[in-house]
Amino acid sequence: MPLLAIASLTLREAARRRVILAVALLSLIVIGLSAWGFERLHTMSVVQGRPSPSEAAATYALLTVMLAQMFSFVLAVGAAFLAAPSIAGEVESGVALVVLPRPIRRSDVLLGKWLGLSVLLALYALGAGGLELMVVKLITGYAPPHPFIALGFIAFQGIALLTLALALSTRLASITGGIVALVMYGVSWLAQPGATAAAIFHNEGLQHACTVITLLVPTGGLWRGAAFALEPVLIAAMSGTTQGANPITVSNPPTTPFLFWAAGWIVVVLLLGIRSFNKRDI
Amino acid sequence: MTATVAREGSASAGPSPAIHTVDLAKHYGDVAALSALSMSVPRGEVFGFLGPNGAGKTTAVKLLLGLTFPTGGEAFVLGAPIGDRETRRKIGYLPELFRYQDWLSASEVLAFHCVLAGVAKSARTKQIHNALETVGLAKRASDRVGSYSKGMQQRLGLAVALIGEPELILLDEPTSALDPVGRREVRDVLHSLKQRGVTVFLNSHLLTEVEQVCDRVAIVDRGRVIAIGPLAEITGDGWSVRIRLVRSSPELLEALRPFGQPAEEEDGTAIVIRGASPDRVPDAIAALVRAGARITAVEPNRRSLEDQFIRLLHGSADAAARDR
Repeated sequence: MPLLAIASLTLREAARRRVILAVALLSLIVIGLSAWGFERLHTMSVVQGRPSPSEAAATYALLTVMLAQMFSFVLAVGAAFLAAPSIAGEVESGVALVVLPRPIRRSDVLLGKWLGLSVLLALYALGAGGLELMVVKLITGYAPPHPFIALGFIAFQGIALLTLALALSTRLASITGGIVALVMYGVSWLAQPGATAAAIFHNEGLQHACTVITLLVPTGGLWRGAAFALEPVLIAAMSGTTQGANPITVSNPPTTPFLFWAAGWIVVVLLLGIRSFNKRDI
Repeated sequence: MTATVAREGSASAGPSPAIHTVDLAKHYGDVAALSALSMSVPRGEVFGFLGPNGAGKTTAVKLLLGLTFPTGGEAFVLGAPIGDRETRRKIGYLPELFRYQDWLSASEVLAFHCVLAGVAKSARTKQIHNALETVGLAKRASDRVGSYSKGMQQRLGLAVALIGEPELILLDEPTSALDPVGRREVRDVLHSLKQRGVTVFLNSHLLTEVEQVCDRVAIVDRGRVIAIGPLAEITGDGWSVRIRLVRSSPELLEALRPFGQPAEEEDGTAIVIRGASPDRVPDAIAALVRAGARITAVEPNRRSLEDQFIRLLHGSADAAARDR
């Protein structure tokens, strides 16, 4: 089946070009450094009593959210820069000239690449994120309340950005598509605390603008889901006192209608990408 | 010249032509990449598609493969409208500006194309082996494409085009990166494809190569076919004779007038008689000697495809200038 052949080729390319090896090595270094930091903190708390056990628990929780945010950012950058050249690069290089005349649909090519890259991102989110959480648990005994839901949200967010970059790749040059996708990711991330701050200052115009941005690019909203799943009740409550107007912690998870919206958004962006690719002169 | 000029008639009865186009056009805004291409290529032929840079050759090939979409006219490939997915199963293509996944080996590239072309699993190993043997890459089958020279990559491109045992192969400058030995091998491949009844659509700048392998040719200029027909008809019976001598004179030119159109060349040390029949060359030489010429050499030449190509293009350019 051409779609699966292209998905498999996408995964093999990531492996052969040492993308997987490079990212895995860097992630292991980061996990190792964070393990050393957690170990120091835990030792100070146990041996010296400073920070106190409750302060240490809060710190572990906050640091875990921040680390997850770092992994989420790495995933977003990876999604943008793997997906943005996947169609544009093959058109520019001439690979598309020998693949597309075959008896396949252009949608097979696009969906095959989407599937291969989605599997790659999901594996990274579960593998690297899961390993990080496991290391924190082993060293400090701290475990976030819903680790698997958090990892799911991080993967969901990465796949959403990947879908956007892939759709852009059917029309824009590799570097342009990658940059546009990353800028949209950044704006969507900023729209979350921006909307809350606008609410505090009763700026309805800004609040509506932030809501529209979140709906147009739901990656920021999906990150809120990951952050909320990682926060103990105490942190979520503390976040509530600032009404969520900080970029690290959140007081409420994304709503169920928003999650359906985000899933539908991925489908619609994929269909738009297929339509754009189908109409493109190669 | 008896070649059909500008347009050949509609598809003949019997099996549909391998390629048939009627006023096929592609415009990018105000720019016409292809104006009104009308031609027919019967099945089983090696067909040469010639033209200067920018004539629309590659655009025409991309249109036939469904890679780009026409803005006018219509075209059929193997009896089906262009872009038909099932028909593409029977087509092989080697583009001019090609690239393959350089992190795969040659046999992995071919295996990937076997899947895309819908080749049955049981037939894949044999097809890959045959294709690699045909293009002389069997010994480098496991090497990564990234380590291949340009010529080897072009051979791989030809092997990819052979996957799926196509009925029609479109080759865009298939020997541009090959050395003379490689070119000879590609010519042999084209001959064997012809013997198997495969139609080959050859887009090439190397006119001597086209002369050696093609049954018929079309010459395109500004997106239109300006001549199409069997090679012999395109080149015609145009002979010329170059007579080298110590000194030309008006009297000598006059003595040659009955044998063709004589003209002085090379500062009066040669006379070329265009349109001279080869069997009248001895009489022309005798007439020259009688008129007092001191001849040093006689060189009969048949008009080449290149001569005719350039002549037709000049005619086309003049016609375009008159239209303006």
